[in-house]
Amino acid sequence: MKILSVSTATNHLSVALNNYETIVEEKNEQDQRNHSEHLDPMIAAILKENNLQLKDLDRFAVAIGPGSYTGLRIGITTVKMFASILNKEVVGISTLQALAKSIDEQNTLIVTGLDARNDNYFAGAYVNNAEKMPEMVIPDGHYHIDVLLKAVSAYLAENDLTKVIFVGTGLAKQDEQIKAMGIDYTYATEEQNELHAGLIGQLAVTAQPVDPDQLLPRYLRRTQAEVDWHKKTGKPFGPDSDYVEEV
Amino acid sequence: MSEKKDVRILAYESSCDETSTAVIKNGREIESLIVATQIKSHQRFGGVVPEVASRHHIEVISQITKEALNEAHTSWNDIDAIAVTDGPGLVGALLIGVSAAKAASMATGIPLIGVDHIMGHIMAAQLKDQIEYPALALQVSGGHTEIVLMKDPINFEIIGDTRDDAAGEAYDKIGRVLGVNYPAGKTIDAWAHEGKDTFNFPRAMMEDDDYDFSFSGLKSAFINTCHHADQIHEKLNKYDLAASFQAAVIDVLAHKTIRAIKQYQPKTFIMGGGVAANHGLRDCMSAEIAKLPKAKQPKVILPDIKLCGDNAAMIGAAAYNLYNADKFADLTLNADPSQELPYANSMLN
Repeated sequence: MKILSVSTATNHLSVALNNYETIVEEKNEQDQRNHSEHLDPMIAAILKENNLQLKDLDRFAVAIGPGSYTGLRIGITTVKMFASILNKEVVGISTLQALAKSIDEQNTLIVTGLDARNDNYFAGAYVNNAEKMPEMVIPDGHYHIDVLLKAVSAYLAENDLTKVIFVGTGLAKQDEQIKAMGIDYTYATEEQNELHAGLIGQLAVTAQPVDPDQLLPRYLRRTQAEVDWHKKTGKPFGPDSDYVEEV
Repeated sequence: MSEKKDVRILAYESSCDETSTAVIKNGREIESLIVATQIKSHQRFGGVVPEVASRHHIEVISQITKEALNEAHTSWNDIDAIAVTDGPGLVGALLIGVSAAKAASMATGIPLIGVDHIMGHIMAAQLKDQIEYPALALQVSGGHTEIVLMKDPINFEIIGDTRDDAAGEAYDKIGRVLGVNYPAGKTIDAWAHEGKDTFNFPRAMMEDDDYDFSFSGLKSAFINTCHHADQIHEKLNKYDLAASFQAAVIDVLAHKTIRAIKQYQPKTFIMGGGVAANHGLRDCMSAEIAKLPKAKQPKVILPDIKLCGDNAAMIGAAAYNLYNADKFADLTLNADPSQELPYANSMLN
């Protein structure tokens, strides 16, 4: 199974070609904030170097969120169109699960997070199963650091785990608070803190394909405008499709 | 005799709060046009919220691509180019169309064309009638108020521009004062037809020796008049307010445009943009041009009302002209939220 994977969820741009779990090639670009310009040429380069065309691929995979809203939409729109036009399978992979995939340790709580400013994080926690597949134990969400760490403590108290590893961005700046928890913890390496499309490809092998039309970012947060409107009017959000009509 | 091959373009437009796709034949014929509007969503907030707009665009983009092909009874095999608005507009919104068009181009091998949104608005006229060049366009929308000189189908120059608010923006702002939900233009236009110009609002820069506009003074005068009346508990006639506001906007637009027509003597006069759907403005421009000596009257093309707002048909029309000029984009095409047509050098004197 040939899989093309993409991550535009953070300022690190990553594209990979997998054959099942094997990462055939991965290209990364750091901190260019220019995903729209660079993503397609990067995909074209990987295909060319491997003598492939888009139609030769079996499956597309993408980091579906959380992450930069605009960034997510660039990658998701791209693979959604590939899959829709070429009638191929497409899967969306949690950005946080993909970060957790960089950690091989068993019996360790893998806390993954992306800095969402003001001590808030898009975060979750995972534990590797026997096949080294990270399984979610604290659901992906938008957490204040206090809430996140409380959930971590609660999980450790209830389960037979003592070690914790923190993966992602902006977590080390909470070191004082983490140290105060009195747990056995480490931080992931710089390399592990970046999203790697090859790992998304590995997770994509067993992931359930979705209808390309239904492949949408998992923002994990309503926009401020919607939250304010909801507070002011008390009206329920309702499905987004209620607000868009063909004329 | 060999017949020229038909050129079919699949076009995308997602610069603001409409997600649209279309299939256009030979730059003139609409084979399909799909417009998914988000107005209902943004009415909750009293105006377009960019992040909400982007979220809605991605919800429909792949579906409306299929719909455009199906409705045109065509398939990718019969598409000669894929066109997309690359600016100006909301960057997050533009990026959905740009990412989708580029992905479609990569997946199909069909060449890609980036289209300026304003060029697109002006080219809505091409879907109605043949444009003869040089042509002159009055482009009026929520984001732009420009007089554009067109030497040929692809070389456009701005000869006049607004110094502050766009005309459509002024409509939305005074609409808010009158309690009219965004977008306010249609209601104000309707009210204006019920009232009289009794308030004599200022006509800014009317006699200036250029083709520029300013609407912020008019907007302030309008708001002050309403606030003052509120303070002394006087109820103003909303129809007369609308009529007076609209008359001030139209007077300046028409006066300056007619002067530009006299100077540049275009063969065709075009209106484009959301405010080109305003009946008061359409009637006034047609009447003013009819007053010119017969020999100096350009042909007038007013686009269909439904093609004045944002839509992909106009992008497909403009893209056809770029296709004929071999103006293709590559995979590095990006959204440029502040993209502008070039300004005429003569104006820099």
